[in-house]
Amino acid sequence: MALAATFLGGAKSRLLPASIPFRYFAAAALFHILAWLHFVLAGSEAAAFTGGPGIMLAAIHLLTLGVFVMTAMGAAFQLLPVATQRPLARIWPARACFWLLVPGTLVLVHGMETASTPLMHGGAVLVTASLLLFAMVIGFNLRIKNAMAVVAAHGWGALASLLVFVVLALALIADFDSGFLADHSATALAHMVLAAFGFMGMLAFGFSHVLIPMFALSRTFPPNIAWAQFWLASTAVVLGGYGAIGGNSTLLVLSVCFALAATTAYLWLMYRALSSGMRKRLGLSFVMIKASWAMLVICLLLGLALTFGFAVPNGSVLFGFLLIAGWLLTFLTGVLQRILPFLASMHATGKGGKPAMLSELTANLPLKIHAVCHCGAVLVCSAGIIAGSSNLIRGGATLGTAGALAFAIFVFLIVAKLRKPAI
Amino acid sequence: MDSAPGTVWRDMEGIHIDVRDLAPPDPMVGILSLIEQPDIDDHVIVHLDREPVFLYPELAERGWAHEVVTDNADEVRLLLTRM
Repeated sequence: MALAATFLGGAKSRLLPASIPFRYFAAAALFHILAWLHFVLAGSEAAAFTGGPGIMLAAIHLLTLGVFVMTAMGAAFQLLPVATQRPLARIWPARACFWLLVPGTLVLVHGMETASTPLMHGGAVLVTASLLLFAMVIGFNLRIKNAMAVVAAHGWGALASLLVFVVLALALIADFDSGFLADHSATALAHMVLAAFGFMGMLAFGFSHVLIPMFALSRTFPPNIAWAQFWLASTAVVLGGYGAIGGNSTLLVLSVCFALAATTAYLWLMYRALSSGMRKRLGLSFVMIKASWAMLVICLLLGLALTFGFAVPNGSVLFGFLLIAGWLLTFLTGVLQRILPFLASMHATGKGGKPAMLSELTANLPLKIHAVCHCGAVLVCSAGIIAGSSNLIRGGATLGTAGALAFAIFVFLIVAKLRKPAI
Repeated sequence: MDSAPGTVWRDMEGIHIDVRDLAPPDPMVGILSLIEQPDIDDHVIVHLDREPVFLYPELAERGWAHEVVTDNADEVRLLLTRM
């Protein structure tokens, strides 16, 4: 038992205090509700959105910064030290990132809502500081050579994209005052490509290489296909960024083609993991994850149609919605409902010496409500965008808000169980 | 077990599985594949090169307890016992 205690002490040193990752997840759950509420309020302006300050821009950034980046930080700070077997050199950056990101996001989105450039500048400074600190901590950890080279490569790709999309974001905000950019819309498109595909997309693909086989209990992926998927995805992001900022439609078409090829390779890897895995009953989380993959394919096919000049009603808004709410948000909530009980169990093991049962840490009813409401929200909002119907968009976003509330209940029930010393 | 990752052998101490140098999640898959064998012993000794934090909840779900018998820079050794 003495040895076990020593080991668990070592294990705990590689695990951050539970309060650090779970503060990110709890904050993301609250931003998730706020984001859908903003879509409800956006209603009439959502379908016709062409960029620029307003409630729609605020809603988008509540999702991207408040939910996606928040979750990515919490997961990365917790999982990387375990994966690389190297504890974070300092814990304070993990806390500092949170305390910069939360107020930064709130100030930034309020500035977007009210078209206040001083507020946008202030929020952007805090968010940028948080993102750069995060990039430094994660970059330092990724330098350590380990067996997960493909995953690390995705991490580097995400960090490179982060640096570029942050620069573009600062330029876009400055342009609201000075108007120095030659083409604001083209820069905004490049910012979206780098942030959504380059940063979050690379993280989603990279984490999938570890998490999906772990959930399905299958073998690691064949490295040649995994590397091919990484290079195809990287090429798509680079071409997409250049094509967007230069207004070059040929590069954009090529980018979507590379993205479709990368997605094909990625889905083949995922199919292989699910079909060969020991765990056949994968549960509700994989219904969400599979739905997110379907929406990624639909999103890319829509992107291809748009780059070829096909007229799709409110096509660019639909593309953005399917990308952010359809693919990324659905994927994220699917993964989170699986990983949060795992992370809670890791901390519960450290406390009591006996692992908590995953089934004891999961609340199924809120997850079922979330799944129904979220999928309904994506479908109804998509129909509303195509039809240009503010009522449909509001109805869909109301469903999304209900789903987000249910998901927040799931997160806070886990946090409450984690705080109980009996576990 | 032929396709499951890890090297399995038996000695006087019991049945062993060595999953060192495997990339995640192969160690977990190898260990769970072994303990799910119908004729497996009630004790299994596992040789790892890293802390298997994600394995513990899976073991608990399957009714297995773990105890660390070695923890040094080169190896983490666990004794798994059917509860």
